[in-house]
Amino acid sequence: MKLLLVEDNERVSQFVLKGLAEAGHTADHADNGRDGLFLAASEPYDVIVMDRMLPGGIDGLGIIAALRKAGKQTPILILSALSDVDERIRGLKSGGDDYLTKPFAFGELLARVDALTRRSQGSSGVTTLEVGDLRIDLLSRRAMRATRTITLQPREFKLLEYLMRHADQVVTRTMLLENVWDYHFDPQTNVVDVHVSKLRQKIDTATERPLLRTVRNAGYMLTAQD
Amino acid sequence: MRSSAYTLAASYIGLAIVALALFAAPLWYAWQVTINDNRAEVLQQDSTRLSAVFERSGIAGLSDFIRERVGLQIVEERMLLLVDPQLQPLAGNLPAWPADIPAAAGTYTIKSRLNGKSAQLVLVRTNLPGGYSLLVGRDVSRFQPLAHRFWYGLAAAVGILSLVGVLGAILIRRAILSRIQTIRQTAMAIVQGDLSRRLPAQRGGDELDTLSGTINRMLEQIEQLFRGVRSVSDSIAHDLRTPLAELRSRLEELSLTRPGPERTFEEIDAAVSDVDHVMRIFNALLRLAEMDTGLRRSGFVETDVAGTLAEAVEFYLPAAELKEVQLVYRDHGPLCIAGDPLLLAQAIGNLIDNALKYAGEQGTVTVGCERLADGTALLSVSDNGPGIPDDEKPKAAERFYRGEASRVSPGVGLGLSLVQAVAKLHGGQLELLDNRPGLRAQMRIPALAVSLAAPSLSSDALPRATAAAML
Repeated sequence: MKLLLVEDNERVSQFVLKGLAEAGHTADHADNGRDGLFLAASEPYDVIVMDRMLPGGIDGLGIIAALRKAGKQTPILILSALSDVDERIRGLKSGGDDYLTKPFAFGELLARVDALTRRSQGSSGVTTLEVGDLRIDLLSRRAMRATRTITLQPREFKLLEYLMRHADQVVTRTMLLENVWDYHFDPQTNVVDVHVSKLRQKIDTATERPLLRTVRNAGYMLTAQD
Repeated sequence: MRSSAYTLAASYIGLAIVALALFAAPLWYAWQVTINDNRAEVLQQDSTRLSAVFERSGIAGLSDFIRERVGLQIVEERMLLLVDPQLQPLAGNLPAWPADIPAAAGTYTIKSRLNGKSAQLVLVRTNLPGGYSLLVGRDVSRFQPLAHRFWYGLAAAVGILSLVGVLGAILIRRAILSRIQTIRQTAMAIVQGDLSRRLPAQRGGDELDTLSGTINRMLEQIEQLFRGVRSVSDSIAHDLRTPLAELRSRLEELSLTRPGPERTFEEIDAAVSDVDHVMRIFNALLRLAEMDTGLRRSGFVETDVAGTLAEAVEFYLPAAELKEVQLVYRDHGPLCIAGDPLLLAQAIGNLIDNALKYAGEQGTVTVGCERLADGTALLSVSDNGPGIPDDEKPKAAERFYRGEASRVSPGVGLGLSLVQAVAKLHGGQLELLDNRPGLRAQMRIPALAVSLAAPSLSSDALPRATAAAML
């Protein structure tokens, strides 16, 4: 997967580029707005990671607006030191696809980048999702593990749907909070973990192969692979 | 010093005089016209009658008639004079034919002297056949005093008006000036740093009281912002220092002792979570500061707070089950208020989280929301845990306050401050009550229209608080 990082802080850039390389991605880097816009407009990238405040005459939101105006639909993750909700909304309104506040854990960044590529591949028109022998029907809101019917509460179904849409990817607690509950704040407790472990009890019984895994220091992953 | 009271009084006096003139002018005009017309008409009738006498009995008869009339009447009442073609008097009570009477018949007003007094005469001249002329007139100078009295009266009215106006202006100015003086002194005290000073303002008073009240509310807000800023900087100084010191010593020790790689990685992981902890406090402080300034009202929409509560309860339900605490939501149907659903969710979440922490095993946490008679929405979270002692309640919502009982549980002590800030942002307040046993925390949020307009920023209702460390 090919990425573009537009970030002026050298240390943060190195940290992100190194992490992306370790995760098997290739990434270009621009340390100012002008170069960032040039690269983003001329090269095909799978995801762009964009800092909001940049030197070089044009800031992150300006680049995004310019790209969207030119018809470029590349998914963009905004990095920002501005944390409040209004800023977040402004970032997403300008055409960004996700918003991550600095400082961040690299795991969080990677998980969100992965989620964005998955989103860009498109999943509209799909009515059933499958991971291994786990299958859910989005229309009838039913879940099956092999031949066993799983009874889920509406919110549990939404949680499982999100995990299945991002199968084989790490999904962080914050991503779950934002996407399943629409809570954009830190509830400061491990409530998400409790929800996930409840779901796990329902989909992975003792005799079955576990699908829902905990990824240390990062979050969760639903996968049928070993 | 120029005084607005004087300027105002002067303009009012000027205005009153103009009004008086506008009132007097038509009166004067009507009077003059009526009296003059009337006079001329009477004289005209008189001369017509005398002409008739002339026609009937000739010049001799008219002369006799006039002499008889003059003999009978009071002299000043009517001037009569009959002259021959050479203007020599034949009969009448005027000594001589006045020089400045034109030859044509008509009504004339002339000034002349009569019995040694100046007089104003209105005369009607009639030319009779045979060259004779007849004058019928009247001295109107005796009406002069009446006109003078009218003008004197008007002048007196203007004088009295001006005097009363000036006196009033002085009194009003003195009254206003003394109040303005008070306001200025208070303002000076505030400038010198005493932000707790307030202007005197009576409830339901005049415009100045209303203005003072508004200024007081503004001062309240400023003081609150000021306190907010100060408490944030205090908090940063105080409470970020501790975890930062810990972090620093951890890293320094690592650098000095250089333990094996296993220990090093453990320490680095611990350092990262130390930083996360610092960031967490930092974010919470920023969020509080943001709310204290009231800037977050941009996110206000009409929202069903009952739905928000139901979702929060649903969110915490598995956590409650895990702790074997009963989490009950008493649903009374939709309840719309103007607010920020995200902040309300966070506030209620904090209260539930707090209650779950203190309810203990087999405890019960009840969440409810209802509309009071006056439209206020009452959101409550009650537990049956140990509660908090009364003497700790006022301090509980203070930033970083952690009750004695909570020293052992994790948290940074900003949870209730956040709930309080959210309640205030919505124009309401947080109350901490005794649930006998346990704690009942409730947020009062005023009805829809009120909260969209402006939040109450009065400090009289600083929420009572609980001993809980949240976050």
